[in-house]
Amino acid sequence: MIEALLFFAPASLIIIGALIVIFAKNPVHNAMGLVMTLVSLAIIYITLNATFVAMVQMLVYAGAVMTLFLFVIMMIGVDKKEQTTDSIKGQTFLVSGVFLILISLLAYVAISSDFKWDLWFPPVEFDAEGTPQLIAGVLFTEWIFPFEIISLLLIVATAAAIALAYDTKKRNSNA
Amino acid sequence: MTQRNEIVMLEVTTDWYLTLAAILFSIGFLGMMIRKNALIMFMCIELMLNAVNLTFISASKHFGQVDGQVFVFFVLVVAAAEVVVGLAIIVSIFRKQSSASVDVLNVSRG
Amino acid sequence: MYQEVKLEIIFLLPIFLPFLTAIFLFLNKKLFNELITNFFTLNSALLSLAIAAYSFIALALDKFKPVNVELFQWISNPDISIGFTLDGLSGIMLILVTGLSFVIQLFSTSYMEKDENHCNYFVYFNFFVFSMLLLVMSSNFLVMFFGWELVGLSSYLLISFWSKKPAAAKAGNKAFVINRVGDFGFLIGLMIILDTFNTFDFYKILQNTSGIAESTITAISLFLLLGAFGKSAQFPLFSWLPDAMEGPTPASALIHAATMVTAGVFMLVRISPLLQHSKIASLLIIIFGLITALLAAFSAINQFDIKKVLAYSTISQLGFMFIAIGAGAYVAAIFHLVTHAFFKALLFLGAGAVIHSMHHEQDIRKMGGLRKKMPITASMMGIGTLAISGIPPLAGFWSKDEILASVFVNGGIYYVFWALALGAAFLTAFYMGRHWLLIFEKDNGFEHSDVAEAPKAMTRPLLLLGIFSIFIGFINTPFFHGLEKVLHVTLENVEVTHLPKGITLVVLAVLSIGAGFTGLIIAFLLFGMELHKRIDLKKFKLESPINLVKDLSSNVLYLNKFGNLFFVSGMKNLSRKVAVVVDGMLIDGSVNFVSTAFNKSSKITSTTQTGLVRNYVVYFGLFLLLLIALFIATPLVPR
Repeated sequence: MIEALLFFAPASLIIIGALIVIFAKNPVHNAMGLVMTLVSLAIIYITLNATFVAMVQMLVYAGAVMTLFLFVIMMIGVDKKEQTTDSIKGQTFLVSGVFLILISLLAYVAISSDFKWDLWFPPVEFDAEGTPQLIAGVLFTEWIFPFEIISLLLIVATAAAIALAYDTKKRNSNA
Repeated sequence: MTQRNEIVMLEVTTDWYLTLAAILFSIGFLGMMIRKNALIMFMCIELMLNAVNLTFISASKHFGQVDGQVFVFFVLVVAAAEVVVGLAIIVSIFRKQSSASVDVLNVSRG
Repeated sequence: MYQEVKLEIIFLLPIFLPFLTAIFLFLNKKLFNELITNFFTLNSALLSLAIAAYSFIALALDKFKPVNVELFQWISNPDISIGFTLDGLSGIMLILVTGLSFVIQLFSTSYMEKDENHCNYFVYFNFFVFSMLLLVMSSNFLVMFFGWELVGLSSYLLISFWSKKPAAAKAGNKAFVINRVGDFGFLIGLMIILDTFNTFDFYKILQNTSGIAESTITAISLFLLLGAFGKSAQFPLFSWLPDAMEGPTPASALIHAATMVTAGVFMLVRISPLLQHSKIASLLIIIFGLITALLAAFSAINQFDIKKVLAYSTISQLGFMFIAIGAGAYVAAIFHLVTHAFFKALLFLGAGAVIHSMHHEQDIRKMGGLRKKMPITASMMGIGTLAISGIPPLAGFWSKDEILASVFVNGGIYYVFWALALGAAFLTAFYMGRHWLLIFEKDNGFEHSDVAEAPKAMTRPLLLLGIFSIFIGFINTPFFHGLEKVLHVTLENVEVTHLPKGITLVVLAVLSIGAGFTGLIIAFLLFGMELHKRIDLKKFKLESPINLVKDLSSNVLYLNKFGNLFFVSGMKNLSRKVAVVVDGMLIDGSVNFVSTAFNKSSKITSTTQTGLVRNYVVYFGLFLLLLIALFIATPLVPR
């Protein structure tokens, strides 16, 4: 019973937060909705024994990434309101069509499998917690090469961000 | 029969997490399609990436392997890199047209 | 053992030295003036000659036991490797090529003086020497084929050396295309060889000939023969050689007289263990050799270009070598190859000296009476003429007599062949006598006040070659079988036709000397004493036959015109039709259709490319959902 509660409470928060993200008009509200989703996801991760990932989710996503988002929102300004009507011809029609297909696909899958997903493989008893030790043991042995590559990607992205955001015109006029 | 059903109802299986991930992904995708603000579109991308992360973690639990959690790290780093570059792009777009709407950008029109 | 290892490395040097020289000169051609170029190329040639001589002596001390070097194996099965061999046959060719290359380069330094592409000439020349040595030193058919193709290329480069002259460019193309016909046959022959023997190595092939069906051997021989016909300018693939005279004269001397055109003869001697098993191939060789010898000799009697006479004479003499091969006298063929190389190089260089002194005038009707102006050239060319006519004891007599005697000794139908060959020898003496007399003796009424003896750099090679033309014949006389000993190991398993003994040989020799003398005397009567002007031709009704002979001779029996009409024009018409129908309608039409179709369809589809991110998101979603639907319909893991 506790288990079900620990699933449903964060799950509903996740969905509410996600809906806020896509429907709220004020960018700050969107961001707050995203924070809500991310924190609730961290709780779900803990119930799934992935404690370290949950911590990283809190720190990196809900902390660093969201701060970045808020910075940019503050920079651009919150008062800019979006138009409510769609400016692209036929976009509403297309979106509703695609979404209808998505819903019907999900419904088909749910109904055809009697509301139970057939995963083909039975679950394995696995109670080991995703501690830093456990993850580091795998990450720095088996996955060391992808790890190095991904760190390179991060450096490249950082450099790219600096290059993109650097306003040469402004700098030159200042200097 | 009824008793077994009750137990199934109470036990939180992997299906539930996957369903949640599917819903989260769908919401994110819907947001991508309907919102014009580039910033919100990025948030929707984050939603979708998190849905994928949830799938990885639940699969990691289901199969009893840590690899899924390691993969979440990689996705996380890619997401961070993407956010950094994406926000930088948004800032430079905003400098040019003082709006973050993507609908006016059609330079690559065929 | 020590000796052998050393020799294996050393005999490769003359092959690659010219190549390195060619590259070196090519890289520095802007930098070097004529003097520096001459210095490098002559020293390199001299070094090559010295090493070649050393290798030959070392080989002779080892009783001509073949030395093989395999540089590396390319493919193990079938056995294809890059290797070289030094045996009696290739040793002779090595000495011949490097020696003549040196002498002719010495001549060239003077002949090509103040030419704007002086350095390029020596680049091509050295490249030719390299290719030729690759051809003769190879230990397998593959390397031989490399050399075979490369000599074709360098010959093309040298023929069209003065490519600003349209005739030279055209002649180069002609030589290349006609050689291609022969090379095509050579290539097919190689394929059959690889299929039959599973290797390209000469020794492995030639020692295993006994178990092979005669039809296969005949097929191989005939295809290789086609290649030899092309390279050695035999009937019907000979018409490129007279045109090839557009190139610089010293190059003609080396390539189109002394070495390259003998590649076919060399190759046939190389595969002689195969050839002796095929009676048909031998018969064909002797027949085509005879046709070539007679036809070319006949064509030479009314030519007026100083070099074309020599070109036809070369073709005719190559025909003699083929006759020797067909008669099974392989030693005689190589012997004639060697002697011919010397006296023909002498004649060509003499012609070059005359052309040089006459300020590039090649028409012998405008010469005449040059003997007093150019005494050394005249006497040396006289030696060459006597040698080629077969007057003892000059070089040509020994080799030509050996060929004629070898044909005769076969008996049967070969008596007819012998008579025809004797006729060709007679014609040779006649046209060579005419050639010399027209240039040096007969007074054509032209004042040659500005003509002087050629410079020393030209006369010295002439003197050298003159001496050789006199004495080289003594390497293989009926009393001293020097060449036979050299080739003994190479032709170990081959039945070589031997000379007849005793009185027959003497009679045959007298007959062949007689033919030579008769030819020279008739030439002297006609062109020296101008007998035909003193008798009334009309009285004997001789005028029309003589004109007919002159006409046929100067037009090479109209073979070229026939060939042009049949092959060239026919091919042109055919290709024009192909161009209009296949190219214009079928290929162009389909290509145009594809391009218009793409143009129109892309205009339609490009409307979907709005450039709006959100539209793309929708497309992306649509196809993602289609993909998911596909996965649901056809699961990856069967249930």
